[in-house]
Amino acid sequence: GTETLTFNVDHGYLEGLVRGMKAGILTSTDYHNLAQCDTLEDMKLHLQSTDYGKLLSSSEEDLTVSLVDSKLRANLVTEFSCLRSNALPPLSTFLDYITYSYMIDNVVMLITGALKQRDVAELLPRCHPLGAFDQMAAVGIARTPTELYSAILVDTPLAPFFQDAVSESNLDEMEAEILRNKLYKAYIESFHSFCKNIGGVTADIMCPVLEFEADRRTFIITVNSFGTELSGADKSALYPSCGKLYPEGLRLLAKAEDHEQVKAVANCYPEYKLIFDDPEPGADFKTLEDRFFEQEVKLNMLAFLQQFHFGVFYSYVKLKEQESRNIVWIAECVTQRQKSKIHNYIPIFPGTH
Amino acid sequence: MSSLLRGEEMCLAQLFLQSGSAYDCISELGELGLVEFRDLNPSVTAFQRKHVNEIKKCEEMERILVFMYCIITSLAHSLSLSLCLQEQLQRLEVELGEVTRNKEKLQRNLLELTEYTHMLRITRKFVQRTAEVSVSLCNLHPHFFISGLIQRVKIEAFERMLWRVCKGYTILSYAEVEEYLENPDTGEPTKCVVFLISYWGDQIGQKVKKICDCYHCHVYPYPSSNEERNDVVEGLRTRIQDLHTVLNRTEDYLRQVLIKASESVYTWVIQVKKMKAIYYILNLCSFDVTNKCLIAEVWCPVNDIPTLRRRKSGATVPSFVNRIPTSDTPPTLIKTNKFTSGFQNIVDAYGVGSYREVNPAPFTIITFPFLFAVMFGDLGHGVIMAVFAAWMVLCENNRKLKNTRNEIWNTFFEGRYIILMMGLFSIYTGLIYNDCFSKSLNIFGSGWSVKAMGWTKEQWENNRFLTLDPNVTGVFKGPYPLGIDPIWNLASNRLTFLNSYKMKMSVILGIIHMSFGVILSTYNYLKKYNLYLVFLPELLFLLCLFGYLVFMILYKWLAFSAKDSRHAPSILIHFINMFLMQGDGLQPLYPGQTGLQIFLVVIAVLSVPVLLLGKPVYLYWLHNGSHRLGLYRRVRRNSEEELYLMRAHDMEEGSSHSDLSSSGENPTEEFDFADELLHQAIHTIEYCLGCVSNTASYLRLWALSLAHAQLSEVLWAMVMRVGLRMDSTLGVLFLVPVFGLFAVLTVSILLVMEGLSAFLHALRLHWVEFQNKFYGGTGVKFCPFAFSLLPSSFEHDGLL
Repeated sequence: GTETLTFNVDHGYLEGLVRGMKAGILTSTDYHNLAQCDTLEDMKLHLQSTDYGKLLSSSEEDLTVSLVDSKLRANLVTEFSCLRSNALPPLSTFLDYITYSYMIDNVVMLITGALKQRDVAELLPRCHPLGAFDQMAAVGIARTPTELYSAILVDTPLAPFFQDAVSESNLDEMEAEILRNKLYKAYIESFHSFCKNIGGVTADIMCPVLEFEADRRTFIITVNSFGTELSGADKSALYPSCGKLYPEGLRLLAKAEDHEQVKAVANCYPEYKLIFDDPEPGADFKTLEDRFFEQEVKLNMLAFLQQFHFGVFYSYVKLKEQESRNIVWIAECVTQRQKSKIHNYIPIFPGTH
Repeated sequence: MSSLLRGEEMCLAQLFLQSGSAYDCISELGELGLVEFRDLNPSVTAFQRKHVNEIKKCEEMERILVFMYCIITSLAHSLSLSLCLQEQLQRLEVELGEVTRNKEKLQRNLLELTEYTHMLRITRKFVQRTAEVSVSLCNLHPHFFISGLIQRVKIEAFERMLWRVCKGYTILSYAEVEEYLENPDTGEPTKCVVFLISYWGDQIGQKVKKICDCYHCHVYPYPSSNEERNDVVEGLRTRIQDLHTVLNRTEDYLRQVLIKASESVYTWVIQVKKMKAIYYILNLCSFDVTNKCLIAEVWCPVNDIPTLRRRKSGATVPSFVNRIPTSDTPPTLIKTNKFTSGFQNIVDAYGVGSYREVNPAPFTIITFPFLFAVMFGDLGHGVIMAVFAAWMVLCENNRKLKNTRNEIWNTFFEGRYIILMMGLFSIYTGLIYNDCFSKSLNIFGSGWSVKAMGWTKEQWENNRFLTLDPNVTGVFKGPYPLGIDPIWNLASNRLTFLNSYKMKMSVILGIIHMSFGVILSTYNYLKKYNLYLVFLPELLFLLCLFGYLVFMILYKWLAFSAKDSRHAPSILIHFINMFLMQGDGLQPLYPGQTGLQIFLVVIAVLSVPVLLLGKPVYLYWLHNGSHRLGLYRRVRRNSEEELYLMRAHDMEEGSSHSDLSSSGENPTEEFDFADELLHQAIHTIEYCLGCVSNTASYLRLWALSLAHAQLSEVLWAMVMRVGLRMDSTLGVLFLVPVFGLFAVLTVSILLVMEGLSAFLHALRLHWVEFQNKFYGGTGVKFCPFAFSLLPSSFEHDGLL
């Protein structure tokens, strides 16, 4: 289409940048070497030879897993803010959309923290910096979702997602979790339609990724709701309606009572059948979460096969996040001397060197 | 000289270093920079090696040094001490860290106090206003105040949220602080706003406090009465003064510490870099069985082994140098100086020579600038280029020119000797072409005389063109002593004359150049049969065909003068007829021409099958011959098993050594006739076709020199001549900008652009036409372990 013709005028530089940064994603040899490390110091030494460079060595304090985690996170934020500050619309809106999911997580974390009487100053450093916003610290003041919306979040970009979530019930942990899912549903539907409006390759790439994301949340909500008093109607109000499961799958899932029923629903969809399949007897056992992550990585890698679209930015952030999770997992295993589990990370771009 | 031609003779040496003195030895070797270490533990990953911890410590020190360097540059001061670096560095770091932290704390404190005074000053104005409002209300409820400072950008959002959360049960008044206050987190000056919130009730108070926290307000207690306010202001003033003095003291102390350290921070950096490099080398060494000494294997020039031995024995603990035989190909080392290194780089850019291969660089020193000058021939341009290069050569010790970070400039500066040679040769060719900014110099007086033609006045007026006839006596008095006669600059057929001359000249130069390349290839043949089966047919092929062409050109120049020029034959036709073997219709150049030509063609044609089949067949014969002898030898080796046992024994003896021998182990070369034949066939085709195409390729000498001459002529005609044509006094003034334009265009187009293009073509002629006749260029460069090659500045290697 015409957008391919003019894409590079506005976004060519950033796409080139993000593809360059993607080349720095750790390869299977890097993971292999990392998995051989005996201490965090060794990991630091090895990461020096990758694109992370002196990231870990420039700190004065002793290395801990949490320090590694926060450094990796800070690294991602630096890269992302570089992209964001150079972006022109509609890419800038697209990038903002990526941050909204972190904002939702931060809001819910602050609410649950406030419910447990934690100090805000203690909670703030634990928020994801990609989802930071000015009014964040005041979230603890609100007692009901309505109050949260009308007093605090009305100025933030999260406001439009609140349309369905406004209620007068008191915020407790369950309510916070429901609030998270409602916000997320609104967010993902809005993001989906935004990508669809952009059209072209961006829609081709992003829609499957977001549909998968929506379906993953649906499955997770269903599995987590076992043993709670959440009714079928309550559940279906939380399911994002932009996924492949919509509408028939969602109806069936709302009724599901145990794991077998969820599996039966998944069996109707070839892409999810694999995830719910029983593991082969010889293979390593992987949690449902890990299998979803694996699938997500696969989808995100596809984004790099095409040019002139925004999907690469989303995919890069997600892949980089997965990489941080992998490094932190390996670091955890190294410090706790759990060598047997060290290979349970999710490889990104396997077979590339 | 032999070193420059063939490269240094290298050998593999084993160093036994006492573990106690290993560090000193390596450091000594680093200063010498004579040896290249081989990795003896290639299977061990980087972080499993022995001296990883020391390397980590070095990195830690580097980090501290970067930290110090940052502090020092921020104070615009420059840091001195000796060994036991690490302890000192760490002590310094702790000290510096504490002092800077203290300083920051104090500054923060000072800032808070200043903010407080500002707040008190400004809120005083509010008080009157609020007092009027609150008088009526305070009877009903006790009202409270919260006051503080907030950044100006946040005040709007703050006000809005305050209103929303407290539903209007608060009164907010604010005013801007005139001065810029420093933001304690970023250190940037920012504008702040002082605010005062009055509210009623505890519930709202909680919320207001939370909102204040959220917007990072700096909240200060609000004095309830005027007397209290005055007291606080008074107290603050004295505290601020105290703080100022303390801060000054701290800064002085910090400065003293830094000055102490600043004098030697650079030496520290170098020391740490050296240390790190030494440990990297130590990681390459392996331990012997007793763990008492380190074994290192190094490549070293044979000539330098005595130096190495002498330096080693100088150390307190003796170490040993041992030459060990090896079948591995050593790296190539060609010692250069500042003059030859540029030319060596030209060769190395194509490929580093294989070990002991003949090095084209010494010949390139002459041929490269010469071929360049053939294309660039202009006296004036050559002088400008030579003067520029001479200036660079004279100022080569100037640090400012040497250490710039401008890459384009560095390229020119590195090649200053090449440019100088190119300039000098251009002056020479310019003299031969008699071209100076497209004009000819009449130094010796032309050999042609117009007067002798005896033209009348009518002839002068009626003809635009008149022909000088050299056959008329007195018109041509003999050739011009040097180069082309200046009269050609006036002739209308100048181009025709020069083209013929330049074309023939480039063919002659090309064939000489290529034949020289073929002759050089004899240096590379280790076996004698190559000389007869490869070199000889190659040379015969080239000389019988193209060498004969050169002969014909020269013969025609010498044998035909102006008198019988009408009968001069076309060389092209003769050359074609030579291949067709028919020359009946033509007048022969000399008696016996047909016979000689047939003879030459037959020899050239015969040398092709010799080149194609000679070597493979000979090798096949050799192999089959030795095969029969080999049978006898094989019987003696009883079984493979025994061989295996022997090898296992080897392995026990010295693990490091067998590691290497297994990699280079290939005692009997497998001979594959088809393979050899294929290679030789490719070589033959490449060579024979190459002779034709390469000869044609040398015509670029003609084309480029033609282009250069024409371009400079156009520039003269289009720019300079316009300025010279005005003959009024105004013309003098007009000539100034015209000459400026002419000068700029001459430098930018003729010198830089044309120079680059001629340079590239000369490069190609060397790489492709010359070097493919003999040069393999598949070697590995010798990179010795030398401290002088370490990046010394702060900018490299992440330091800064």
